[in-house]
Amino acid sequence: MSAFVARRRRLAMVVAFAAVVAAACSSGDPILDAGIDPTAPPPPPQTAAPGETLPPTIPATTTTTPFADLPECPVDALGDGDNPVEVTYWHGLGGESEEALKDLVAGYHDSQDRVRVRLQNQGGYNETIDKYLGSGADGRPELVLMPEYMLAQMVDSESVVPADVCVNESDFDMSAFLPRVRSAYVTGGVLWGMPFNVSGPVLYFNKKMFREAGLDPNKPPETLEEIRRYSQRLVDSGASGTGIALDSGQDNGGGWFLEQWFAKGKKLYADNANGRSAPATQVLYDDQFGVDLLSDVRKLVDDGLAAHVGANPSGYDSFLKLADPKRPAAMTIGTSAALGTLITTLDGGLVPGITSEQFGVGPMPGPATQPGVLLGGASLYVVADKDDEQTAAAWDFVEYAVSAEVQSTWASRTGYVPVRSDAIDIEPLRTTYDDDPRFKVAYDQLNAATEDPSAFGPVIGPLREIRATNSNAVGAILNGADPAAELEKAASQANRLIRNYNTLNS
Amino acid sequence: MATEHQGLEIDRVTGWRMAPRYALLVVVSVIVLFPVYTTVIAALKPGDKVLDNPLVPDAFTLDVLRNAWERGNLDRYLLNSAVVALVVTFMQVVTAVLSAYAFSFLHFPGRNLLFFAFLATLLIPIEATLVVNLQTIDSLGWKNSYQGLAVPFFATAFGTFLMRQVFLQLPRDMRDAATIDGVGHLGFLRHVAIPLVRPTIGAMALFAFLSTWNMYLWPVLVADEEEWRTVQSGLKQLAAAGIDEPNLIQAGTVIAAIPVAAVLLLFQRQLVRGLTAGAVKG
Amino acid sequence: MRDVGWQWRDLPTGLVMIAPSALVLGAFLVYPLVKTVSLGRQRCNESGTRCVTTGWDQYSDVWRSDEFQQALWVTGKFTLLVVPIGLALGIGLAMLADRYLRGIGIFRAIFSSTVATSVAVASLMWFFLLQPDVGVIPNIGWVEDLFGVVKEPGLLRDPGTALTSVAMSSVWAGLGFTFILVTAGLQGIPADLHEAAAIDGAGGFRRFWSVTLPMLGPTLLFVVVVLTSRAFQAYGEIDLLTDGGPDPQQSTTTVTYLVYGDSSVVRSDAGLQATTAVWLFVILLVLAALQLRGFGRRVHYGD
Repeated sequence: MSAFVARRRRLAMVVAFAAVVAAACSSGDPILDAGIDPTAPPPPPQTAAPGETLPPTIPATTTTTPFADLPECPVDALGDGDNPVEVTYWHGLGGESEEALKDLVAGYHDSQDRVRVRLQNQGGYNETIDKYLGSGADGRPELVLMPEYMLAQMVDSESVVPADVCVNESDFDMSAFLPRVRSAYVTGGVLWGMPFNVSGPVLYFNKKMFREAGLDPNKPPETLEEIRRYSQRLVDSGASGTGIALDSGQDNGGGWFLEQWFAKGKKLYADNANGRSAPATQVLYDDQFGVDLLSDVRKLVDDGLAAHVGANPSGYDSFLKLADPKRPAAMTIGTSAALGTLITTLDGGLVPGITSEQFGVGPMPGPATQPGVLLGGASLYVVADKDDEQTAAAWDFVEYAVSAEVQSTWASRTGYVPVRSDAIDIEPLRTTYDDDPRFKVAYDQLNAATEDPSAFGPVIGPLREIRATNSNAVGAILNGADPAAELEKAASQANRLIRNYNTLNS
Repeated sequence: MATEHQGLEIDRVTGWRMAPRYALLVVVSVIVLFPVYTTVIAALKPGDKVLDNPLVPDAFTLDVLRNAWERGNLDRYLLNSAVVALVVTFMQVVTAVLSAYAFSFLHFPGRNLLFFAFLATLLIPIEATLVVNLQTIDSLGWKNSYQGLAVPFFATAFGTFLMRQVFLQLPRDMRDAATIDGVGHLGFLRHVAIPLVRPTIGAMALFAFLSTWNMYLWPVLVADEEEWRTVQSGLKQLAAAGIDEPNLIQAGTVIAAIPVAAVLLLFQRQLVRGLTAGAVKG
Repeated sequence: MRDVGWQWRDLPTGLVMIAPSALVLGAFLVYPLVKTVSLGRQRCNESGTRCVTTGWDQYSDVWRSDEFQQALWVTGKFTLLVVPIGLALGIGLAMLADRYLRGIGIFRAIFSSTVATSVAVASLMWFFLLQPDVGVIPNIGWVEDLFGVVKEPGLLRDPGTALTSVAMSSVWAGLGFTFILVTAGLQGIPADLHEAAAIDGAGGFRRFWSVTLPMLGPTLLFVVVVLTSRAFQAYGEIDLLTDGGPDPQQSTTTVTYLVYGDSSVVRSDAGLQATTAVWLFVILLVLAALQLRGFGRRVHYGD
């Protein structure tokens, strides 16, 4: 075959391929619409076949679901047998928190010999979620630690025993629990997860740099305007390279903080009272409030007063910016749960010239309309469809883990907020709070009382994915994209996710 | 990795020309080794000194390595990686040799079609199979076990292809002579064919070992329990482990790379042979 | 090979010997592919417990969707960076080290050394080179003065430079492999060809173009095919370095990352994952065919 013909043939193939690609080129539709007709009405609700009963669904009102419809919690099934009952506990904690958890379990084992808890670190919250959701009933553990944004999915998974059922069965006294902490995990009138490690966002700031800039280290900034003013002073005086380090990560600036700021601004994030009175059908954060908020944040970055440290997948990038030898930031917003790790790190001499005393902790800055914050962290779920003995064993551990003494030790060591107010009167937490009031900042924020629905975070099925979407949008905005356009894109993506979720999980 | 080839006589560099040539070689070597250099230095410094002088080894300690070993559970990860890699290597060689023999020495109808089908599987990327394989492994109860990590890789079409190539180069007469002597297929395989193609088997084994050892995505999905992770997915764990010792992960990286480096050093020749078998012969 | 015709008696033996390979390949490659194709017609919920069939439209919808096209574009850019640069550097290094010199073996060992790194190891090494706050390169004084983006916001965080940085890490990781292959290929060129060309008056450079490169044909083709395939399937680098990339436009989300990445929107739906994965398979198939037929014609197979 002559080279000419060969070349012609090859060229033809390449052109054909390119033509196919070009012809089928971008439709501009989002991938989440693939295969679905976005204008079609949702499928009709299930009806039971004759003789069958439908699985119970949580009614879309605020009345409490009758316990008769929920899985049982046989709290007395734990016998005094010779062999201890083993329960597996999946979690995603790392660092100091993981060490503290290991010690907690060791303490539990010392205190009794009927139950043995096998800790299995999945590597992170995401891994825990993926693994749990991907497992069938056989693959699930007896206990799992799920982050707060998983509430709706855990309820819809119909795989857990609601904490309220066990509380009821065993007459567990929850009167000392912080109201905001308890309500965070209540939907449809029922408490589903037992709050275990509670955190809140706080402002971390370098007191030494504040002093150098002539700012009062005992009065950290509390609103975005104050952040701007303080940052300007810090930068102008040369005390720091930039004012505040912000990230656009899912668990921080891009996802979680957005919800926090809406709550502080007394604005609803999603409809149906943030999804707590009925399943949410759409998000509301692409309104003017959101646009203005993110525009202001972006302006901080543009003016050199804030540094955008990217999507922060490890969670440490915003802290690393404070340690930057060339252009350090003086402030950052992060979870209170990092306080323990931060202190250990700085005291270990990681960052030359900074010790842990030089760091202050203040309340999370933001709109001042509604004080307080939404909680972060995770809660313990007792998994259903296990042997009675195992369920009882799991609940026994849960009671231990949220007892006042244990919460006191736990909070003191990790910086998490204790779930109950009587824990702060017990050692070691009492001394910790007395000696180092920084640990108490998150606690105080979560003690702020309110009844407005916007003060309780959103409960949406695909909340994790929505936060990821928002993270991309915020990242784009901080990198220069138009806030209104990005928020609208994110919101329509979120609505799509919600619609798909409701369709597939009805 | 020394190869015997010493370059052409006519290109021999002598006299003053050697200096710039050496200089260039050194500069390029520095650039190529730079990431390794910085990682090793960081791994051998104590945690608080890591940020000071990243280019200069001004402090030395083995503590971080020890810490990474213990905290990072690296001994278990290395064991898992080793077991899986060894088992997979062995099985790949066995299945490849058997099927390659059938494709080269036997002449049954449909043979070529079947071989073509084998080759076609080379085009299937692992990503297209992961979700379903995960479900299969899960339903067999093999998640977080050596079986789950190893069994899907017990055969590869590339191995069959390679062994077939090399079997085809054996003289036909050898087989005919053996048949006349009454030697059966397995006997021929064991006593004649395999010993003759030992170098290629070695290369293939080495290649299989390395690829399995370096696998990332599958172990991440299949083995999420602590005790079953491999070194590669375990590194990702270390990355999330802690900010209090930032060079923990460099230490882990060094530990993870040592076994492979050792194996490669020992088996350089086989590696080159294995890599080039598909290339030069086309 | 002498033509002997079919022998039916070989059939049972043949099948038995092929069976182990066939079983494994069938169960873990062919069956999943088929099942994935059918899964690609469905949409599933997060936990994969409920799936709804939507039809073949899902395939065309996914192909034409914004995110997929964007991922295709990113993957194409990534490949166009990794393959030519990796190839050129590999050839360059091989030519550099292809000389009689004392101690050349050490340099050859150094140049091959990256073959000892896995994706995870290589990516992490690069991560600590490039991390803008505490990484090595951004904290070297003059680097920041010359190239501000290295420090602020960081090569991996700036949408303009992130993909190139990931590509460089990938090129570095593949250097050893390419070097070994090209060196072996150089080995296979008969010396008399070079000598003949030299006698005809061809200098070093001329000889490279008219003797070395053509004779390296099969090797280079192999390298290109492997590098391209690897580039299209790149996952670990992105997972460890950028997590899909600074936005906007998800600058480092390749097609594979779109399927399995932590920050990918597709991750929540096993059906969408399957559809995208099947498209990846099709693309790789077409690419391989194009490369083998398109460039294979040009390749000179020697005497």
